[in-house]
Amino acid sequence: MTLSKNGEICLALIVAVMFVLPCLMLGMIYEAEPYHVIPGEPVKTAMDTAGISVVDVKGTLWNMTGALGGKTYTLTDPEGDTAYVATQAFDSAGSRDAAVRLYNAHAPGKGKQVGSMIVVGQYIVYATPANSPIFAKLVSALKQAAKATA
Amino acid sequence: MSEAPAANKKVLGLFALAMINVAAVLSIRNFPSMAIYGWSCIGWYIIGAVVFLIPISLAGAELATGWPEGGGVYAWVKQAFGEKGGFVALFCEWSNNLVWFPTVLSFTAATLAFALTPDLAANPWFMFSVMMIVFWGTTAIAYFGEEASTKFSNVGVILGSIVPSLLIIGLGLWWLGSGQKIVIPHFTLAQTVPVINLSTLPFFATIVLLFAGMEMAGFHALETKNPQRDFPRAMALSAIIIVICTVLATLAIAIVIPVDQLNLASGVMQAIQYFFNAAGIGWAVGPMALLITLGGVVNLAAWLIGPAKGLGIVAEEGNMPPLFDRTNKYGAPVAVLVIQALIGSVISLLYVFLPSVNQAYWILSAMTVELLCIVYILVFASLIKLRYSKPDTPRPFKIPGGMAGVWIVGGLGLFGTILSFIVGLMPPSYFSNWVVYVGSVLLGTFILAVPPLIFLKFKHPGWLKKSPGGEQP
Repeated sequence: MTLSKNGEICLALIVAVMFVLPCLMLGMIYEAEPYHVIPGEPVKTAMDTAGISVVDVKGTLWNMTGALGGKTYTLTDPEGDTAYVATQAFDSAGSRDAAVRLYNAHAPGKGKQVGSMIVVGQYIVYATPANSPIFAKLVSALKQAAKATA
Repeated sequence: MSEAPAANKKVLGLFALAMINVAAVLSIRNFPSMAIYGWSCIGWYIIGAVVFLIPISLAGAELATGWPEGGGVYAWVKQAFGEKGGFVALFCEWSNNLVWFPTVLSFTAATLAFALTPDLAANPWFMFSVMMIVFWGTTAIAYFGEEASTKFSNVGVILGSIVPSLLIIGLGLWWLGSGQKIVIPHFTLAQTVPVINLSTLPFFATIVLLFAGMEMAGFHALETKNPQRDFPRAMALSAIIIVICTVLATLAIAIVIPVDQLNLASGVMQAIQYFFNAAGIGWAVGPMALLITLGGVVNLAAWLIGPAKGLGIVAEEGNMPPLFDRTNKYGAPVAVLVIQALIGSVISLLYVFLPSVNQAYWILSAMTVELLCIVYILVFASLIKLRYSKPDTPRPFKIPGGMAGVWIVGGLGLFGTILSFIVGLMPPSYFSNWVVYVGSVLLGTFILAVPPLIFLKFKHPGWLKKSPGGEQP
């Protein structure tokens, strides 16, 4: 099969688009979390709903622009799993999203990020280890709470 | 298509080759994330060294001395599995970069912002502007060929990666020597054993690919003065530098910074600021940020130049349309570099302006892991196969132990990379629909790996402008 000069350029363009396409598709499938202020402590409320026990809690302020403070929890569940969950509120979408970028930029080497991070309103919620079943329960409870208030 | 015959000047010696690998692998941004694990980071590093760093160093040394032609992994895998296999391996190495570039660019921009005024990191326009200046600037350095890139890499990796690592290690030693409080429990052998269960298993892929890039020097074979003598030594030298700097600097951070501080702000500059303030040298944070920024640029440059050079050779051999086979008078594959920069710029734009779509970015990271695993699976498989299919090819460096040695080295490497591929498909626990996750990762990986097969489908003799040796046919 042979191609004309224009065909070759088209082929090169198609290959270039193949790179951008997955990124665009993923951006469309997963909607960005809009910045909005959720009153109270949604993460603590979700922990209580999910039956997750708090072993230890500390107040923390991240050294990042726009960080307003949050808490670091040591959690366990009836199955005996342990997880560390940190929350931090931000004063704007820009500062919150900068923190997300910073997290993604620190994936070691060419691997995946350490821990898991989600965005809930004005909060960033960060958990280690990444595949903690406790965090799965917590996220599920947060989603249910978000549906209930929607 | 080439402006002039690209003469390959032999400019690379042992030190320069080693620095190419160090630039590709050693990154300060890994340290705080690894320091979270305390003493058990030693165990994780040992796992990474046994199942990947040592095997890839030995495999790279044998393959690079046996087939010291241009193209790196392309040349090696082609010998074992033919043109298609070689092209797929190289393309996977190149395409995973395009998804990964925004990560290292964003790191560089955020670190520079820390040196100027940290508020700038929250400004997407600042971030994007710096990312583009760094990206296109590094591409411009690559444009001026091997000599310019080598000088930049040598200076950059020493100032931007090795010096900051040694500084962190020195401060850690001072901390110990001056009797300051160590924030992790006292050392016992048991604490070095990592906890491996379903929750931590995905981290296995991260630890294996922490050392990805040890094959980078292989892309520069044509510019190497004495590849058969220098490659094995460069592999050994770079592996030693990387292991010493990585392990000791991680431990230095782990003993000084409380884990909750690392947990909540894994940013390297936040950790460095805490570290330096604790050591009473807060004034050094800004200069350190500038050095680490340079380290980020050099890390980017290593990955930007190596696989692009390989792709330039594939195009030269007539496996891609002539559009890709455009080299300049310095021998740089300009067409590949420009296409790479254009695609990378678009992906960076999405990265900066759609940042809170964290789930999407996680999937892109997983694709990077899968693509790289494909590369290394093919490299290790080639190492084993070539011992059978081409046993008489002279290999100035041979993995010791005969066939058993090759099977042990190749087998460990295959085990590490295949397991990484599998655990790379495990979604983080908060993904409610794992079928969508696995499907997205596999589909994305397929899309980014398949272009070589499209090119080879349309390949015709008119694409061959030059023979592999550089002569006109």
